[in-house]
Amino acid sequence: MDEWQYKPAGDHGLKPEESLRSLRREAGLVATLTQSAWRLAVRAYLRGYHRLRVEGAEHLPKQPPFVMVANHSSHLDAITLAAALPWRLRQSAFPIAAGDVFFETPAVALFSAMMLNALPMWRKSCGPHAMKQLRERLLGDPAIFVLFPEGTRSRDGRLGRFKPGLGMLVAAAAVPVVPCYLHGAFAACPPDKKLPRPKPLLLRIGAPLQFAGVNNERAGWQEIAGRLETAVAALRDSSPS
Amino acid sequence: MFGLHPVAFWISAGIVAVLALTPLIFLALERAGKLSPALRTDLWTRYKSWLFLAPLMIAPLLIHRLTAIIGVGILSLLCYREFARATGLFRHRAISAVVALGILLLTCAAADHWYGFFVALSSLTISLLVIVALFADQPQGYIQRVALGVLAFSFFGVCLGHYGYFANDKAGQAFLLAILLCVELNDVFAYCTGKLFGRRKLAPQTSPNKTIGGAIGAAILTSALFATLVHQIVDGTALDRHWHLLALGILLSLTGQFGDLVMSSIKRDLGVKDLGATIPGHGGLLDRFDSLIFVGPAMFHYIGYFLGVGLDQPVRIFTGP
Repeated sequence: MDEWQYKPAGDHGLKPEESLRSLRREAGLVATLTQSAWRLAVRAYLRGYHRLRVEGAEHLPKQPPFVMVANHSSHLDAITLAAALPWRLRQSAFPIAAGDVFFETPAVALFSAMMLNALPMWRKSCGPHAMKQLRERLLGDPAIFVLFPEGTRSRDGRLGRFKPGLGMLVAAAAVPVVPCYLHGAFAACPPDKKLPRPKPLLLRIGAPLQFAGVNNERAGWQEIAGRLETAVAALRDSSPS
Repeated sequence: MFGLHPVAFWISAGIVAVLALTPLIFLALERAGKLSPALRTDLWTRYKSWLFLAPLMIAPLLIHRLTAIIGVGILSLLCYREFARATGLFRHRAISAVVALGILLLTCAAADHWYGFFVALSSLTISLLVIVALFADQPQGYIQRVALGVLAFSFFGVCLGHYGYFANDKAGQAFLLAILLCVELNDVFAYCTGKLFGRRKLAPQTSPNKTIGGAIGAAILTSALFATLVHQIVDGTALDRHWHLLALGILLSLTGQFGDLVMSSIKRDLGVKDLGATIPGHGGLLDRFDSLIFVGPAMFHYIGYFLGVGLDQPVRIFTGP
C-alpha cells in the first residue's frame, strides 16, 4: 500500500471572500450542484432562445488539459463555449473572466464562482505571478480554460488583436489550444445592450494547435497569439457547412 | 420563565451578562496598561466573533426543539465541509454526498423523534458509503477514501447528531446549554490554570501549549460547575447523587479535552495550522467546536442510562401511525 496522502483544498485556509477570488479555488459538493444546475439551464436557454448550433465538436480533446480560445463580443461567449463541452468535463472547465467585472463585489464573485466556475484575471495588475499560477492550475489539475485573447469584448463586432499573455499559459507545454469562433453573439448581445435578443448562435470549433515546441518567452508568446488569431479568423471566414 | 427551563433561562442570562461586561474588563485592563497592542487586537477580534457566535448557538436552542435540531444539522454539515476540504475527501463527491445525506437523515430522525432510525443510520450510512465508493472502480486509495468518509460521518454525523436528539427531552434545552457552556469554559479553564500552574507538557508532539496542570485544573473547575448545573436540572431524580454529578463533570471535562487533542492530531497529520478560516480570531468552525464532538454522546448515554432521553415526549412525530 502507498503512503497515505492528504491534499487539502487548494484554497484551504483562505477567508470565504478570498477563496471566491482565489486561482486555486476548488468546487465542493454545493458548488458542484449549483454549477451543474446552471449548466443545464444555460444549455436549455441557448438551444431554445438562440437556437445554438455547434460545428466541429469532434475537435475537442477527450481529456484535460486544453484551452479554448475564441472571439469575444458578448457575455454569452463564455457560457456558450463552456456549454459546448461534454457533461463529464464540466467540472474541469474554468472560464477566465475579468476580475474587475466578475469578481469586484462579493455578490458577483459568489455568482462567478458558484455558477460559472470562473477564475479571475485582473486586467490592471495581471503580472507574471498570476499567469504562473494559472499555468500551474492548467497543467496540474489538469484543467480546461475558456479564454478570450482579445482581452475585452469587441465594441464593433470585429475580431481584435490577440494579446500575447495567453502564450504564457501554453508555450513549451503539451496543451492543445482549440480555436473557436462564435457567430451571432454580437448581434444577439452587443456590449451596449442590457438584455440579449433572440438571434441565432453558431459556434465553430477548429482543429487544436500545439505549442510544445515554442519557447516560453516573449517572442514565443507573440508567435502563439499570432497563430491563434489567424486560426480563429480562418474559422470566421470558412464557408458554412 | 418566558417558557424556558429555569436553568436554561439563568444560563442564557449569565452569558448575556458576561458578553455585556467583557468590554468593560478590556477597557479596565487597557487603563491599567496591561494590554500590548497585539493582544488587544486579538482579544477584540475574539470578542466580536463571540458576539455573533453566542446568539447563533443559543437562540436555536431556546426557540424550539426543531430549530435546535436543524441548528445542529447545519453545524454538522459545516464541520464536515471543513474536514473534507482539509483532508481532500471533498474531491470524492460520491462519498461526500453519502456523508451529507447521512447527516441530513440523522437530522430528520432526531426531528421525528425516532430513536430506532437514529441508531440504524450509523450502520446503514456506513454500508452505503463503502458501496457507493466502489462505483469509481479505482481500488488504489479505496481504504483511505472510505476510512476518511466513515471517520467523518462518525464524528460529525453520529457524535454531533446526539446534540440534536437531546433536544427531544423536556430538559434537553437546559442540558444542551449547560453542556455548551461548560465545554467552552473547559477550554478557558485549561488555558488559565495552565498559565498559572502548568509545568509539564501534556502531549508536546500533538499540542505543544497544553499542560498537565491545565488539564487537571480544567477538570476540577469544569466538574464543579457542571455538577452544580446538572444538580439543578435533575433535582430529586436518580441522577441527583454526588458521585453521579461528579462523574458527569469529570467525563465532560475529559471528553472535551480529548476532542481538542483529537483535532490537534488531525491538524498535525495534515500539516495545517487551522482547519478553516470561517471565524475571525478562532480559525475554522472545527477549531472552535472540536471539543464538543465526544462530549455529546458521553453525556447523552450517561444521562439516558439513568433517566432516559425524551421518554415522556411523543415519538415518531412525522412518520408515526
